[in-house]
Amino acid sequence: MRYDSITDAIGDTPLVRIDPAVTGLRHIDLYAKLELLNPFGSVKDRAAWNMTRDALPAAVERGDTVVELSSGNTAKALALIAGMHGLPFKSVTNRMKVPEVKDLLLLLGAEIEELPGRTECLDPTDTDDPLTRIHRMLSAADSGYLHTDQYFSPLNVEAHVTGTGPEIVRDLDGRAPDHFIACVGTAGSSTGVAAVLRAHDPAVEVVGLVADKSDFIPGIRTIDEVHEVGLFDPGTYDTLQSVTADQAIDGMLTLIRRCGLLAGPTGGGAFHGALRHLRTVDAGLADSADRRTAVFIVCDRVESYLGYLRQRRPELFNQPARPNSLGSLTPADLAAARSVDVDAARKWIAEERPLVVDLRGPFAYAALHIEGSINIVDELFDELLHGGLPFGPRQPVLLACPVGEKSERYAALLTRMGHRDARSLAGGIIGWRDAGAPLVRD
Amino acid sequence: MRPLPLFLEPRLEPRLRSLLAAGDFLHPLVDALGSPLNVLLPEQLADNLARFRAVYRKHHLSGPIHYAHKANRSRAIVRRLAATEAGLDVASLAELQHALGAGCTPERIIATGPKNREFLWLAARTGVTVSLDSRAELDELAELVRKHTLPRVRIMPRLSGFEAPGARVLSRPSRFGTAAAGLDDLLDAVERHRDAVDLTGLAYHLDTTGIPEKAVALEGCIRAMNACHRRGLRPRTIDIGGGFGVNYLAHAAQWERYTTELTNAVLGNRPPLTWHGHGYGLRGEHGTLRGALTLYPAHRATAAETYLDALLSTRAPSLGRPLATLLLENLYDLAVEPGRALVDQCGATLARVLEVRPTPDGDVLLRLGMNARDVGLEEHGVLMDPVLLPRPGAPSTPPGEPVGAYLLGNLCLESDLITRRKVFLPRLPAPGDLLAFANTAGYLMDFTAGRAIQQPAARKVAAFRQDGAWHWRLDEQYWPVDGTGTAEPQGERQA
Repeated sequence: MRYDSITDAIGDTPLVRIDPAVTGLRHIDLYAKLELLNPFGSVKDRAAWNMTRDALPAAVERGDTVVELSSGNTAKALALIAGMHGLPFKSVTNRMKVPEVKDLLLLLGAEIEELPGRTECLDPTDTDDPLTRIHRMLSAADSGYLHTDQYFSPLNVEAHVTGTGPEIVRDLDGRAPDHFIACVGTAGSSTGVAAVLRAHDPAVEVVGLVADKSDFIPGIRTIDEVHEVGLFDPGTYDTLQSVTADQAIDGMLTLIRRCGLLAGPTGGGAFHGALRHLRTVDAGLADSADRRTAVFIVCDRVESYLGYLRQRRPELFNQPARPNSLGSLTPADLAAARSVDVDAARKWIAEERPLVVDLRGPFAYAALHIEGSINIVDELFDELLHGGLPFGPRQPVLLACPVGEKSERYAALLTRMGHRDARSLAGGIIGWRDAGAPLVRD
Repeated sequence: MRPLPLFLEPRLEPRLRSLLAAGDFLHPLVDALGSPLNVLLPEQLADNLARFRAVYRKHHLSGPIHYAHKANRSRAIVRRLAATEAGLDVASLAELQHALGAGCTPERIIATGPKNREFLWLAARTGVTVSLDSRAELDELAELVRKHTLPRVRIMPRLSGFEAPGARVLSRPSRFGTAAAGLDDLLDAVERHRDAVDLTGLAYHLDTTGIPEKAVALEGCIRAMNACHRRGLRPRTIDIGGGFGVNYLAHAAQWERYTTELTNAVLGNRPPLTWHGHGYGLRGEHGTLRGALTLYPAHRATAAETYLDALLSTRAPSLGRPLATLLLENLYDLAVEPGRALVDQCGATLARVLEVRPTPDGDVLLRLGMNARDVGLEEHGVLMDPVLLPRPGAPSTPPGEPVGAYLLGNLCLESDLITRRKVFLPRLPAPGDLLAFANTAGYLMDFTAGRAIQQPAARKVAAFRQDGAWHWRLDEQYWPVDGTGTAEPQGERQA
């Protein structure tokens, strides 16, 4: 396939059947609409392009900044589209909770403005939310902004009315599926696809999925938050159900590990919600010859959510225990560690000139430290020790940390690794200062 | 079908739960001292303080914990505080006088907020630390010290407007503090005034619940402290203010269900949950929700000392190390100024039910012997149900159905509702019963109380357990010798 522009590659994503051995459904064929295969990586590529395509020539002429309230995929797609046209892109958000997404956007050249947290001392007369305020600023004529307005723009829905919806019908040989399941973010894809499917067959059942209220799933709104979305119309959905972050991650892991689909948590949530709903339907079809189809949307890819996953499921990232780590110290190791108090340490330094290793961060070391000490921050020291002793076993070493706790553990570890004379500064640098011993700044 | 009652049960820890179960003790108190009545639990303060101190210990940090006096005017609370290791943050001349009189020695006091010359003079004269709001305040203080030949004053300038790396955070501009970008000018002035002031630390306070914003500010202070040391100044303490929050509600699920239903009510999808359909900042426009919820997040999984712990465990945005580690390894002390969080569970506000009036459209109106100023639930956006304390000895009513009711105040004002939310009670109260608003010691008790139309202002009493019974003192009669077995009999009643 040859294209003149990467934007021509948006859309026409595959519809892939999920193996019945995975779904356990006997009467329903479940298909995944793989929006993660769009060129910028998500379903939002369609809306982003549809919301900008016609407005870009004039915006380029004026030198506008493209701006959107987005914490993820829409911002990503818009940043790339803006960049292709030589325009700056700015995202204003209060929902960017995934650090990798933020870093990626900065890499793409986006400017990010984050909204502040809730106020602690409430002003009950201030009912103007920051979003409304920003909206007003952006919508002013000649503001210098091209505001794509994904939560309200009909162009968002249109992208799916002309693209996603017809593609599903085409790939199902001209029939609409019996069930359509989608997570609700901007409501653009679910609204647009539902309209197309219902036009084909009014009996299509549309299931909208929202995030459980106490939970956070990137790209999905909670039952309260969907009401803030201009495109959201409860009438679109036959039923609205909630999924928890745990369920979304479980669904995602099944798609990744069993189906070869590198789905993100939103796709996982849609898969979980689809299966939960369809299993009941499937059971009701027990003895009938009726065969049904269902489609759910896989919005984006897993790679941007590693931080999110690490926080919620640290066990997924379990590394085999590394050699020479603090965690492997036994009480006997710790008991064998040698500590010296400030007076003894000063005497030892004067007489034998041990290597003094300051384990604090470089910022703190640069400000004040023991004269002649070297700085190896604890995180780096950790790494060095995995590979072995970074100095000879006979070289006397005095380890120093803020209060003498961490240094004692490292002294124990060095001793266990065969070092002959590693000692910890009892009381640490704080004890050293409080004893009136000198600290220098170079 | 009657809709399910949307309870918002207050969170009650054992001491406050035990107090509110003692109807035999509380009813005679209100009979004698009038409605409304504020009851304080000074002993709880020591427990809360210990929890904050445990977070310090966990991170190996040192430094003072200051109670923000403005959260409550109670004498008992300040006197009990004087008997602990904590310090006090005072924000007015009278608060400073009160703190000194209650036994807080000057080295434990920090003067904050907008200050007049009299406040500055007494602070300088007695040797309390002054948290400086601006350059102008520094000049005024230095001039005052020289003119009246006062001792050198310990100062902690307050900074604001910190810049984050990466994404820009649109923090609300503050009326307090000196912009961090103007630090050099400020330090020039500090050096010029060296004869009059002694820089002992730096401070910030952000009005936000957002930990990332506070992380930016705390890291900014660490960098600013470093800049001070490069100039040869020797500040040692970073004061990160308060705003750690309180969890008011017992059940997260109730809060979530309630706020969802409030959204539905605003959009017209269900009958109103509030007086005249008040939306608490939300409004519906063509089926779309607009505005912002102006309510205190009444259920908070992370609040008070666990919030401090979470902040200290957060990695600094540019230096990368956890904030507690940075404070520790740079040899800085940490000062905090919790108000609300330090008096969490430290008291309740009681009011007599005067009238029970069903309305034609099925609501119940309860008129109370108090007004909206007496308990700042509306003012502070805190939603929770009161606890019903039936009158002892009243003819026992059968345990009725749960009931929703609006609470009317004692002012002749249409708007005088204790809360515009319809509260839910386990059964219909009778005149003479008491309603207890739990956990009001932080800002909800007397921050706004007045004497409109000469209605009585609530009196305060301090309650404590001794020898298996509840005892009480008028607030001004309480000293920390009470509750330790050496109490004087004066003013004492036994439950």
